[in-house]
Amino acid sequence: MISEDLQITAQTARPLIHPLLLPFPVACLVGALLTDVVYWRTAEMMWADFSAWLISAGVILGIIVAVLFLIDLLTGRFAARAAPTWPYAVGCLISLVLGFLNMLIHTRDAWTSVVPWGLALSAATVLLLLVTVWVGWPFIFRREVNVVAREIDVVVMS
Amino acid sequence: MSYSLKAVRRVALVVSAAALLSACSDDSFDPQSQVGADPKLPEPNQYLFPPMHLASVVGWKEGETPTVAAGLKIEAFATGLQHPRSLYVLPNGDVLVVESKAPPTDTIKRPKDLVMGWIESMVTSGGDTGPSNRITLLRDADGDGKPETNSVFLDHLNSPFGVSLVGSDLYVANTDSIMHYAYSTGDTKIAAPGTPLVALPGGPIDHHWTKSLVASRDGSLLYVGVGSNSNITENGMEAEKNRAAIWEVDRATGRSRIFASGLRNPNGLSWEPQSGALWAVINERDELGPNLVPDYMTSVKDGAFYGWPYSYYGQHVDPRVMPQRPDLVAKAIPPDYALSSHVAPLGLTFDTGNSLPQKYQGGAFVGEHGSWDRDKFNGYKVVFVPFSGGRPSGKAEDVVTGFLNGQEEARGRPVGLAIDRTGALLIADDVGNTVWRVTSAAP
Repeated sequence: MISEDLQITAQTARPLIHPLLLPFPVACLVGALLTDVVYWRTAEMMWADFSAWLISAGVILGIIVAVLFLIDLLTGRFAARAAPTWPYAVGCLISLVLGFLNMLIHTRDAWTSVVPWGLALSAATVLLLLVTVWVGWPFIFRREVNVVAREIDVVVMS
Repeated sequence: MSYSLKAVRRVALVVSAAALLSACSDDSFDPQSQVGADPKLPEPNQYLFPPMHLASVVGWKEGETPTVAAGLKIEAFATGLQHPRSLYVLPNGDVLVVESKAPPTDTIKRPKDLVMGWIESMVTSGGDTGPSNRITLLRDADGDGKPETNSVFLDHLNSPFGVSLVGSDLYVANTDSIMHYAYSTGDTKIAAPGTPLVALPGGPIDHHWTKSLVASRDGSLLYVGVGSNSNITENGMEAEKNRAAIWEVDRATGRSRIFASGLRNPNGLSWEPQSGALWAVINERDELGPNLVPDYMTSVKDGAFYGWPYSYYGQHVDPRVMPQRPDLVAKAIPPDYALSSHVAPLGLTFDTGNSLPQKYQGGAFVGEHGSWDRDKFNGYKVVFVPFSGGRPSGKAEDVVTGFLNGQEEARGRPVGLAIDRTGALLIADDVGNTVWRVTSAAP
């Protein structure tokens, strides 16, 4: 005699690698927004120089995070996750592109390396990062436990 | 360089994205429309990748020379020099060749400085094969264009550029000071250490480092060009103190004052023979596009302000400078004669001799070191600007060309100029490491 039943198993996801380094480029790009604002208010070149270093570091570290993200993707570490990953991935990628453009803007000399386009891009990058990290929060910084219910065949011997 | 630029060896560096972004305006624009008293000034452009195009250095092969205009002849006066940048002819006819290297790299303040430093590290101005920062004396006693004496006149200088002799007092403008030496006619070497007359703005940042020098006619005053410490104030306003100016120095006391200001990088300080006015060639700002801002030559008026950094050609405000200074912009005067954008004029001399063809007499020769920040090369030649009544009286014409070969590689680059005792034009070529001598073709 054959009957149907459900087997419930609990599964912990394998941890993602890229969130290990994610805070670093984010901190650089947030810092650049702050130094951009200070330059905008003071016209003191030191702050624009800080911004240029922070954005360049942010972009380089961002590229490293992107590589780790790809590794996460290719090794299937995202596979078992419940939250959608694509909005998060696209947000990160656009932030990186904005950061790169901003890096080029910041190679200009003096005032127009920041005002208006550098400052605007810095602000847009930080806003987008805020949204992106908020979207990705459930799975990048929390160890998830997924509950999976599967139909299995149970053979009952009579 | 207008960027204190050397050339790149074996590296033709074209940022192709820049080419794409700038090609449109570059191709349709005639650089000749920016030669003369009233240059065409397009709208400024700022780029993500500013145009950058450096000529790879190949040097002069045996027997090669630049090309001269009809009626002229050119020969190498001396070869195998170490970055000859400026020339000075002593009263007895001896020629001083100032061989000079840029001071150590600018302080790295931004990632951009790292990248520019890396580009410059591939740059050797035709080979770094020996000691520079010295003055070599060449004596051609029989006037055949082949010096018999070649002697190290002064050594261990600090990026020297300008030289001026008043009586028996010889002045050398190092990048950080004017030095005084005692000279007697016929000396081929000065061993005694000099004494400083006045300190000039040098390091730690020393962006435009060439200090051009000329003595007043009566010998009581010295005029020295002090270039800006940046392209457009990106090293901070404090770094620009007493820079982008021509100083007047009292020879007896060393006391100095700013004679004229707003001159981004003034060189080739010379007296116009008819009016007796001070003239100079000025390297204008970069990164506003391939056709901005035209470099120029101008008479330099006492107390005048010529715009840098706040504006160019009078009241054209530069958006990159903050805080802006409308009060200074209002009093900025436009220069006399534009030479086209990014040609990098570093040498100026008036034809005060009488052996070159008649048409050149009293006019100005300008040594154009050549562009690096536009796709189509500009400059890399010596031009002639006719003068009459103390003012430019016509269009600049090419006199010495061929510093770039057919593949647009640099065989040499002209810098400082001088008229020698026989009236011939001497040209310092700091990439070809040669001094050229231009004479009349007819004997």
